Amino acid sequence: MSALVRAELLKMRTVALPGWLLLTTLAFVLLSVLLTILTAGMPNAPLQRDDPQMLARAVASASAGNTLVLVLGILTLTQEFRFGTATPSFLVSPRRSHVLSAKLVAVSLAGLVFALLSVVFALAVSAVTIAARGDTLTFDRTVVEVLLGVGLCLLLYGPIGVGVGALIRNQIAAVVAALVWTFVVEQLLVGLLPEVGRWTPGGAASAVLQLGDLATTRGTLLPVWAGALLLVAYALVLSGVGARLTLQRDLT
Amino acid sequence: MSTTLVFDHLTKRFGETTAVEDLSATVRPGRVTGFLGPNGAGKTTSLRMLLGLVRPTSGTASFDGRPYAELTDPVRQVGTLLEATGFHPGRRARDHLAVLAVAARLPRRRPEEVLELVGLTDAARRKVGDFSLGMRQRLGLAAALLGDPPVLVLDEPANGLDPQGIRWLRTFLRGLAAEGRTVLVSSHVLPEVEQTADDVLVLARGRLVRTGTLAELGAGAATGTTVRSPDAARLVELLTRAGLPGSWTSADEVRVDAPPERVGELAAQHGVVLHRLTPTAGGLEDVFFQLTGEART
Ligand SMILES: Nc1ncnc2c1ncn2[C@@H]1O[C@H](COP(=O)(O)OP(=O)(O)O)[C@@H](O)[C@H]1O
Ligand SMILES: [Mg+2]
Repeated sequence: MSALVRAELLKMRTVALPGWLLLTTLAFVLLSVLLTILTAGMPNAPLQRDDPQMLARAVASASAGNTLVLVLGILTLTQEFRFGTATPSFLVSPRRSHVLSAKLVAVSLAGLVFALLSVVFALAVSAVTIAARGDTLTFDRTVVEVLLGVGLCLLLYGPIGVGVGALIRNQIAAVVAALVWTFVVEQLLVGLLPEVGRWTPGGAASAVLQLGDLATTRGTLLPVWAGALLLVAYALVLSGVGARLTLQRDLT
Repeated sequence: MSTTLVFDHLTKRFGETTAVEDLSATVRPGRVTGFLGPNGAGKTTSLRMLLGLVRPTSGTASFDGRPYAELTDPVRQVGTLLEATGFHPGRRARDHLAVLAVAARLPRRRPEEVLELVGLTDAARRKVGDFSLGMRQRLGLAAALLGDPPVLVLDEPANGLDPQGIRWLRTFLRGLAAEGRTVLVSSHVLPEVEQTADDVLVLARGRLVRTGTLAELGAGAATGTTVRSPDAARLVELLTRAGLPGSWTSADEVRVDAPPERVGELAAQHGVVLHRLTPTAGGLEDVFFQLTGEART
């Protein structure tokens, strides 16, 4: 089992795409940190320049990689079918569910790496920018909680992608479906039907991220622990269904 | 370390198409077995069923009695090469093998060793996307050899190889069989395996139409005759009546699936003049085409 996980990690490290996804993640983090800090104090901005939560709000941007980790999870599976590497993978391990489990673990670990780098990067950029502007820089428990939330979120989002990929083997279809879901369906649900929206993966992720007592939507979201459990459940149910339905198909 | 492969009443249907029908055969160790048949005959489907990648509609396939999925350490027991497509184009050749070696808990130096065996050492750090078809076949073969397995299952390994490559492959496969391994090689081109295979399984439209040694297959080949006569039409009539239908190859020449002695005797009995009577040469390929129902070229 651990051999299969190591093989999955090696698969990710020996192609260019995960590296690009990581760079894109860091670019998103940078943009979103700068946007939060530099707009503070402007009319209509949610944040004032002397807000003690400035740092916490800024580093919350480190969760920007959510979607990219989701895509990473999808690709670890769909690429195998796109390039036909599923054949050697399943020849090495004829129990296909073992390959799937190894992918779930490997993608979680990759998510942790994304989270760690995002957090360090967000902290550094935030601290430097806030200090340069002479704004309030408070490093307190809230910041730590936000960062933990980010880590948990990225850890749990990749496996959901693996589940999506197991269910929809076509790469483009799977990625498009995930993006439309994340950026359109979930946004609408969370906005229009918060009672339903909080049960979506995005809603669950927001629940996990509210760790820092930052969420303005608090009350409509699930508690942190429930959000985390819900994310795990999504990953397991999607992969389980994918493993039963799609993954067992003939490989011709 | 010898392993016997058994196909036992294997059948696979894809919707309306019957790709493989009731295939039963035994593949023995220490020999190269050619798995022959034209494109679409069902070779790939049969091999993929043998390897647990395609689920049979009915029947089983096994290695010393165990299905592939139940082998404890499949990479060390069975080496496989299936089509030249199973590579990520952006991954280096050595990394492709390293991934498999890690997953199968093989020693870290194995990828380098097998790359050397197939003559790809210099290309180890190149991306597979830049490889020619022949290089991909060699890389596929390297992957098959990773676990130093007693069984090799190779689907059209000669595809994309140049003549030197095919000769190299021939020597290589003979060497593997001489070490006592079981080697099953598919091909849709008979000459590719003609000098390599000991045994043959001939598949046509999903059905096994011939099994045996290559020599036995060849023995059936000497029966053809080409006969030239100024009265060829009458000769054809006589032959047909004798249950030996012939086919015209030119205005005065006929090809018959019977030995020259038989044709000559028949002509003499009826006083038909013959200008030429030749046993047909190059028989193996003819037998192959006859068996598989393909037109002669
Ligand atoms: N996934 C599939 N779906 C439908 N038909 C298939 C599939 N795979 C193979 N076939 C059909 O099965 C038959 C045998 O194909 P194949 O095993 O690839 O033959 P070969 O390898 O001898 O060329 C062909 O008619 C082919 O079209
Ligand atoms: Mg084929």
